[in-house]
Amino acid sequence: MIEVKDITKKFGRRKVLNGVSFTANKGEITCLIGINGVGKTTILNAIMNLTPINSGHILINGEKIKKESYEKITFIPDAITMLPQMRIAEAMGFMNDFYDCWNQERATELLGFFKLKESERISDLSKGNTAKVNLLLGLAMDVDYILMDEPFSGIDIFSREQIANVFTSHLIEDRGVIITTHEISDIEHLIDKVVLLDNGNVLKEFNAEEVRENENKSVVDVMREVFKA
Amino acid sequence: MNRYLKLVNFEFNRIAKVYFVLLAILLISQIAGVIFSSKNYLNETNRMIYEELIPKAEYLSRYGPMSMDQVLSSIWFIGPMALCVALVAFYIFLIWYRDWFGKNTFIYRLLMLPTARLNVFLAKITTILLMTFGFVAFQLILYPIESTILKWMVPKEFRVDLSVHELISSSGFLELNIIFPNSIIEFILNYGAGFVAVTILFTAIMFERSYRIKGILLGIGYSILAVIIFFAPIIIQEFLQRYYLYPSEILIVEVAMGIIVTCCSIWVSNYLLKKKIRI
Repeated sequence: MIEVKDITKKFGRRKVLNGVSFTANKGEITCLIGINGVGKTTILNAIMNLTPINSGHILINGEKIKKESYEKITFIPDAITMLPQMRIAEAMGFMNDFYDCWNQERATELLGFFKLKESERISDLSKGNTAKVNLLLGLAMDVDYILMDEPFSGIDIFSREQIANVFTSHLIEDRGVIITTHEISDIEHLIDKVVLLDNGNVLKEFNAEEVRENENKSVVDVMREVFKA
Repeated sequence: MNRYLKLVNFEFNRIAKVYFVLLAILLISQIAGVIFSSKNYLNETNRMIYEELIPKAEYLSRYGPMSMDQVLSSIWFIGPMALCVALVAFYIFLIWYRDWFGKNTFIYRLLMLPTARLNVFLAKITTILLMTFGFVAFQLILYPIESTILKWMVPKEFRVDLSVHELISSSGFLELNIIFPNSIIEFILNYGAGFVAVTILFTAIMFERSYRIKGILLGIGYSILAVIIFFAPIIIQEFLQRYYLYPSEILIVEVAMGIIVTCCSIWVSNYLLKKKIRI
């Protein structure tokens, strides 16, 4: 389980996160939702120790993040994290060199799934295909948790559908996913848990399935209620 | 260790193309320098002897024979070396900042590797060292080749052959003596001081990347403090005008100060990379 406990983060005098707490379980898709600038990306960066927090705790399976944790959790940011001059095969080779959890079989499967060619250079890829390579590099790792930052941002509808299909495939399996997105409609029916954020605070945390079944509401309906209030 | 070596290999490969192009420029320019300098000398010699009718012996006593140190002072020789030094100096900054400001933020990947973040720091500093020593080694290999070309071009009675050691020690350029030290002590001093300077600069960059604008001030402050500590034994002696230590003792103390400053810089950088760095 990923536990985010009462974290605060300031950039200069501006408080971006103001006591944010939530949990994300293995086997669940947790979605962080909020308008731009509410601190969604900062939370993911903080979980990965890519930005220091001012107070609070972040635990992954009960432990603070350490170098070994990067074999158990992966982060797929909204921009690709490989050098533009690399070919996809070289990027996969880099991952294979440095990560014990890299699964070459799954990587090859993902190449086929996304219809990508190993010989293509990253700098030559379209935005959609760049996002797919980014996903490939994250999903091909045998990790417990995957963090995704705006995986649908600025991508055409066909690529979005292809990426959304990942969530229903065995590629996610029983892994825990934390995702931030504006394009909620693409994966609304797949989300298990929602954390609504505003001004660095958690406005509401709810189980999407319960809301669907008990209240007969969609995630978007709850969002409208909370944000209008 | 294994991942550190892989990182060194990866970092070196990232600059390899530019590096080998520069080595090629160094090679071509310096060999061209030897050829042009020799041709100029021979043309001038021929003009003096055959047109001005100056006897050979008088010409040699008046203008001297040709030797490699005349090539050394030409732009053909100094120019590409200055270019290599400039590249290394520029790359000390670029090696970090391109990972943050490049088209793709590769720093995400580097900081999420399942290895100590200090290995990234050490791999980058090792790359800088490899580049520097690579240039020096290449230059030392080039000397005998250039001397041989000079021997082919200039007749024996018009030239003085200098060994690599003679060439370096006879050079009037202080800068060349810094790059090619005359003794092992000078080597330790020159390259040790260079290594200390690079660790200080890297630490200053870590401060800037951790605290941004505030970090620039912290980085400058740290650099000034580190330089003062490094030169403290000399500063104290000069300030008090009392020379308690022999030069050999000063050398030992300076080496010790260099080790202290380097260890502090690596420790501070490790702390910043683990706890304070941000994307």
